[in-house]
Amino acid sequence: MTSRRDFLKGAGATGAGLVLGFHLEAKARPGEAPRAEFRPNAYLAVLPDGTVRITVPKTEMGQGVRTALPLAVAEEMDLDWSKIEVVNAQPGPDFKSMQTGGSTSVSSTWTPLRKAGAAAREMLKAAAAAEWNVGVEQCRTEKGFVLGPGGKKLGYGALAEAAAKLPVPKDPPLKKPADYRLLGQRTPRFDGPAIVTGKAIFGLDVRRPGQRFAAVLRCPVPGGKPRAWDAAKAKAVRGVKAVVEVPTGIAVIADNTWAAFKGREALAATTTWDEGPAKDFNSATLEGKMRAALTGPADEARKDGDVDKALAAAAKVLEAEYAFPYQAHATVEPMNATVHMRADGAEMWTGSQSPNRAQERAAAAAGLKPEQMKVNVALIGGGFGRRLGTDFSTEATQVAKAAGGGPVQVVWDREDDFRHDLYQPATLHRMRAGLDGSGALTAWAHRIAGPAVLRSWMGGQKSPAQASVEANGALDIPYAIPALKVDFAEVEAPTALGWWRGIQIVPNVFARECFLDEVAHAIGKDPLQLRLDLMGDRGVVKFGREEADIRRLKKVLQVAAGKAGWGRKLPAGHGLGLACHAYDGRTYAAEVAEVSVEKGQLRIHKITCAVDCGIALNPLGLEAQVEGGIAFGLSALFSQITWEKGRTVQTGYHDFPVLRLADMPAIETHIVPSTEPPSGIGEPPVPVAIPAVLNAVFAATGQRIRRLPLGPDSFK
Amino acid sequence: MPAYQLTVNGRARTVDAEADTPLLWILRDTLGLTGTKFGCGQGVCGSCTVHLDGQAVRSCQTSLKEAAGHAILTVEGLSKDGSHPVQKAWIAEDVAQCGYCQPGMIMTAAALLKRKAHPTDGDIEDAFADHVCRCGTYPRVRKAVKRAAGGVK
Repeated sequence: MTSRRDFLKGAGATGAGLVLGFHLEAKARPGEAPRAEFRPNAYLAVLPDGTVRITVPKTEMGQGVRTALPLAVAEEMDLDWSKIEVVNAQPGPDFKSMQTGGSTSVSSTWTPLRKAGAAAREMLKAAAAAEWNVGVEQCRTEKGFVLGPGGKKLGYGALAEAAAKLPVPKDPPLKKPADYRLLGQRTPRFDGPAIVTGKAIFGLDVRRPGQRFAAVLRCPVPGGKPRAWDAAKAKAVRGVKAVVEVPTGIAVIADNTWAAFKGREALAATTTWDEGPAKDFNSATLEGKMRAALTGPADEARKDGDVDKALAAAAKVLEAEYAFPYQAHATVEPMNATVHMRADGAEMWTGSQSPNRAQERAAAAAGLKPEQMKVNVALIGGGFGRRLGTDFSTEATQVAKAAGGGPVQVVWDREDDFRHDLYQPATLHRMRAGLDGSGALTAWAHRIAGPAVLRSWMGGQKSPAQASVEANGALDIPYAIPALKVDFAEVEAPTALGWWRGIQIVPNVFARECFLDEVAHAIGKDPLQLRLDLMGDRGVVKFGREEADIRRLKKVLQVAAGKAGWGRKLPAGHGLGLACHAYDGRTYAAEVAEVSVEKGQLRIHKITCAVDCGIALNPLGLEAQVEGGIAFGLSALFSQITWEKGRTVQTGYHDFPVLRLADMPAIETHIVPSTEPPSGIGEPPVPVAIPAVLNAVFAATGQRIRRLPLGPDSFK
Repeated sequence: MPAYQLTVNGRARTVDAEADTPLLWILRDTLGLTGTKFGCGQGVCGSCTVHLDGQAVRSCQTSLKEAAGHAILTVEGLSKDGSHPVQKAWIAEDVAQCGYCQPGMIMTAAALLKRKAHPTDGDIEDAFADHVCRCGTYPRVRKAVKRAAGGVK
């Protein structure tokens, strides 16, 4: 299976590309006298006072990379965690692929970061050994110091200058997990103190001298263009400085955000639109086309045996249709970017999950070379894949250019954010299962119909990998079934699509795990036992280019079921449901939900989750990702984006419900101990939450939910 | 154009801006206090929560004219050094994920605990009913509020 990761990687390899030219000289910053700063590589610098500055090559968006990645460096280097600084990398020769998505931040940097820390440690030890005239094997490191024989002790800061003159070891020894002092501990988020005092700087908090603020009036129908407008009323708003046309619409530039918003409102009243080719697009028509596509031609994603024959020979065939709607990312920080065009180049500040691509595209929009566009990566007030897109940073560059110099911050409001998202598309799923006379599952067919995210991501091109990417979560079904077919029927839609937390795995696993539950009930078998039986005694199973270790999946399922008390007697009206998935064959997650439905109201009491994502770098942060991933998945039980007359019906949190505190179930997380390399945890808990809950609804009520979102009438 | 007087984090400020300007933008754009966040501008996400005379209010729904003459407290003014009991509880429970909605949550928690030293689960749910955290920090928010309970004077 070709995965989304391949497309996120781009030209520069994610892992190997990170280990870059080693800078041996102590580097002075412009305007500073040269200092004895030890920078053995692009990831770290030891300052003369012993502080170690760690450069994080991935974007922090709440998933904890500014804690987990420095921990890997600090572990190998034996740092004092209270004496580190963390800075964000900037795209450029040292950091060619900072793309942050696909739950790959830890797995792609784990080895280079540890090697960077280990190399520095070995050099500091060698410097101390030379200073003391002892063998390096007589030296060891501890909390920012090298310790030698006879109580000798030197801090890293004092050794920095000497260490900087030594050769960088190519293959420094890495610690054994048993020797870890920091990794595996419950380490609070590095940015916690800055966040709780309001000092953390997100993209929208960037303030540059002379900065202006802009809002762009865009056609509510994506792709539409303004036909005519009158800027006079906007310019009459106090604080408005200019009204300029940009490729995405008309920008109102002002002294402050509120004036930009008010000016835009005044401008909107005078603007007429050519709404473009998408003006008649609506959800009902799309659904009709998707339903037709459930039985038409499709691109094959996986085929084992002859499904049609097996279904024809089956003693019983089950068939069901599942529906998942469009979804928005709904990050709490709306899209924004600040761009300063200068005579000799430009500088940008933005929360981007794709800093390198943001740089390339903004530079192209500004008529600059990429290296002339300096990109500063700000903290992200929610990413979830939305900020892999570069639409907002390119647009801000266009606005700043049209504004004619000086820093300009382009601010989207909540409605902009909902109307011009890069959406997760709707899908319909036709599920068919064949059973033989003994009730054994002999055939499984999963047809997915909907718009293709990958095509939208690739600018309208169809990739040969399209079917396998869109079928992620369906084609890697972990159950042994003799005849199996998974295919994808593309349905065109004029909507910009993007990667959403959990991507297509969310709807595909929803349909797969709920339908399997239907099979279990149809044959009178316990849903847990059916899954365990279908996993069997298999080990590593290949799905195209990916593979998954079925034993690890089985283990998390058993742990989750055991901890949740699967099979126990429940309070009246309660039900337990479960689901599991091997996310991209790397992270194994299983969840058991306990729910009740009373007077038409669903209540999710508790979710018990077991995960195996390899070595747990920071269990405290890992549990936060499980809690957050489940919350994100549960929100999708209730939310949807629908389209009328080419535009979204939903414009904010008032009509796109996201989970609130009172709705949040108790979460119990069990991390299955592992010595495998760390994988990822941001997305894996998301897809299993939905089917676990809906299977629990069936257990509680006998009602099978096959269509999302849940509404007021779902339980009548 | 009248100038408006208000007290922000104990400091008297004079602001010359349109009367209908939301307090949010006065704080963020005029006074440079960016700890108070813009999330929805519709009063439904809670990111912009500040205290007005000790009450938690949505600064995106409070005009400059309404705020004038009142004492405003933002997250920057909650303590000098992050030592407010709610801030300490937030760190102890490692609540934040992306952190964007958290200043608003913290201001709501501080106002709640001042009003009711030992809130029930129901009190907490009511106080946070109009807060959105897309990262899903809710279980830890609940724990942090309980941890800070009794400590807010």
